[in-house]
Amino acid sequence: MPGILDGIRVFDLTIAAVGPWASKLLGEMGADVIKVEAPEGELSHVIPPPIKGTAVLYISANFNKRNIVLDLKQEGDRATALKIIEKSDVFIQNMRPGAVERLGLGYDVVSQVNPRVVYVASSAYGRTGPMAKEAGIDPNLQALCGWCSITGQPGGQGEMFRHLAHLDISTSTMIVEAVLQALLARERTGKGQKIEIEMLSAALSLQSTRLAEYFATNQQPQPMGSAVPTTVPHQAFLCEDQKYIAVGVVEEDQWPRFCRALKVEALRDDPRFATNPQRVENRAVLLPLLEEQFRTKPVAWWVIRLTKEAVPNSRIGDYDSLRYHPQVTQNEQIVNLETPHWGTLAVDGLPWKFEKTPAGPIRPGGLKGEHTEAVLRELGIL
Amino acid sequence: MSGALSGFTVIDLTQGLCGPFGAMRLGDAGAEVLKIEPLRGDSARTMGPPFIGDESAVFLSVNRNKKSLALDIHKPEGQDLVRRLVAKAEVLLEDLGPGEAEKLGLGYAELQKINAKLVYCAISAFGEEGPLRNLPGAELVIQAMADYTNSLGRIGEPPVRVGTDVASVNTGIFASQAITGALFHRMRKGEGQRVSVSMLGTLLHMRGIMWTAMSDPDDWYGFHLDHYTKPPDHGYKTKDGRVYFGLRRGDSEDWDRLLITLGMTEQLGDPRFADFGRQATSIGRYAPDVKPLWEEAFKEMTCEEVVKLIHSFNGDAVAFLDYPALMTHPQVQELKMIQELDHPTAGTFKTIGPVWRFADTPAKMQSPPPTLGQHTDEILTALGVSAKEISQLRASGVIG
Repeated sequence: MPGILDGIRVFDLTIAAVGPWASKLLGEMGADVIKVEAPEGELSHVIPPPIKGTAVLYISANFNKRNIVLDLKQEGDRATALKIIEKSDVFIQNMRPGAVERLGLGYDVVSQVNPRVVYVASSAYGRTGPMAKEAGIDPNLQALCGWCSITGQPGGQGEMFRHLAHLDISTSTMIVEAVLQALLARERTGKGQKIEIEMLSAALSLQSTRLAEYFATNQQPQPMGSAVPTTVPHQAFLCEDQKYIAVGVVEEDQWPRFCRALKVEALRDDPRFATNPQRVENRAVLLPLLEEQFRTKPVAWWVIRLTKEAVPNSRIGDYDSLRYHPQVTQNEQIVNLETPHWGTLAVDGLPWKFEKTPAGPIRPGGLKGEHTEAVLRELGIL
Repeated sequence: MSGALSGFTVIDLTQGLCGPFGAMRLGDAGAEVLKIEPLRGDSARTMGPPFIGDESAVFLSVNRNKKSLALDIHKPEGQDLVRRLVAKAEVLLEDLGPGEAEKLGLGYAELQKINAKLVYCAISAFGEEGPLRNLPGAELVIQAMADYTNSLGRIGEPPVRVGTDVASVNTGIFASQAITGALFHRMRKGEGQRVSVSMLGTLLHMRGIMWTAMSDPDDWYGFHLDHYTKPPDHGYKTKDGRVYFGLRRGDSEDWDRLLITLGMTEQLGDPRFADFGRQATSIGRYAPDVKPLWEEAFKEMTCEEVVKLIHSFNGDAVAFLDYPALMTHPQVQELKMIQELDHPTAGTFKTIGPVWRFADTPAKMQSPPPTLGQHTDEILTALGVSAKEISQLRASGVIG
């Protein structure tokens, strides 16, 4: 069965992570994504580590695409690009503001060639303003956007999330939302349109719930380790075997069940802890009591007890525990992918399930320019 | 014209952060979102303090552009009302847990009989299959299971979570994608369907680069691999704050002049600083080791001076901002993402506005977050329920 974007072609002029991950998701929804690279290759090729010589970032961000090389600074290749764009539904690029215009592929040109194109201009900081011309990589955004300031050990300095791609990919997901909306609108209006989105805006949107605390109090939320200010208990506890268990009581009916699982029924009936706002107010009293209790038994015991009572909990997972975890494999959240160039890889599963128009299957992308001839022939350009 | 999803009605049975955030984005794009809440209210209404008036600040941040109908879906009369609303809607969104909607007569198979073209989106915590499918989720729990806390903090110290609610918020975005994609298909092919997303699936998807890196790397270095063992990264200390910086590849003259300007002439021949410093800054292999050398050079400089200096050598540099500094930053102000809404009881409050800029179908702040049951009468009246029936339903505890 074809995917949701069956018959939709994407002209993909993206680099690094933000743009490529967005077009990868479109490809996984069934779009025909044509990734266009300059002869010298895009930025991600030099980011370590490689697998059999190809950068992991390049492999990982470019599933479900075909790869072609065009030198857009040459008139002939630019004309070829316009011919592909004529037959495309989506144009997506994440260069610095002005760069794509210098290549002669600004919205004015593209929409003239194909007024039905949904055109995405994704930048780091926006088209205007003092930082418009600056490059935005994930760690820069992490520092700037404030999210490090709320992350870290209590009393310590804010710190970087060392998976330096979350703000990138988060931006990608918001691009995909916008593309889908614009394709839907096009079904009604017959017209494409231009969409602009920035990593900085995406990073603010991602922090909506935490920024709300600041707006309400005018106080900087402080790093709290594994805890949060607004829900108690919602943090990691150290168990007898020196392992941590993550627990969250996020619905009022979970509190009595949590107390039963922990065998601290007296706390359930204590009026100081009856509701979440009261537990937040009295966290300094409550938490030492809970910490003491968790330390009396190993993590395995608390996982059994809390799971039986349907209270959200987990051990700390890692690659080794996750890759073959029945929860992960049965839901295909990490899957094995056979590739012609890089052997068998563990890769991210599809983030959604469509029951009538299944997404995927996930296919490895190609090497730079691997499909140039095939794509141009298929489109009748060569 | 109006938003891309204008004219679509979404029945939103979700609570907390994840589903409501996703539904809010559909509302931003123009959909009419009818939020069905239990009579005691969405659980996010008690998330806090902080509260603004009687409303949780966190709740307010994920519930604009919706109408609230307080209704008990565990009562047969309540279920009947939901089915009548679904009959006239395009989308239903629920996070009741695998199998739970079916027990209430609100599963996809049942609702499809009433509305063949319905787009039905189910959100779960861990996924709809597997041994943990019935365990409810929480932000930290999903982050911890999905390996996120291992990229923070220090080995041997207590775990640190991503401060931002990534499991909830990012899953809401995938739900919004799945729904919009299914609406696109419905518009093209005339059929509805059931779609689903999960919080664990979201975070494991977004960390995919790490899984691939660990499959079979040529060597064990690069941020996808050494994030487990690196120390916490606080950026580079200056006289008055911290900065993050990197230089672009391939400009040796700039690189040498930068080192000379900073008095780091010993590093000109240091192999860790070779190759234009690619391995000595930013995500470079030696960046954590040589950090003290940079901090020594930055010791008498302010953040602003360091940023200017790096810029003058064609590098990228930014200061670490906290929320107060972020709010007054000129680039943030340029983007106009911080908007105000007037709430009926909480008054005027600030929030983060819609993220996309569409040339023709602009996203909008249409209405403030509702108070509990604010639109119960309005929604039921529009459904054809009489005033007398409404007061009977209220008296018998079906609606609020």
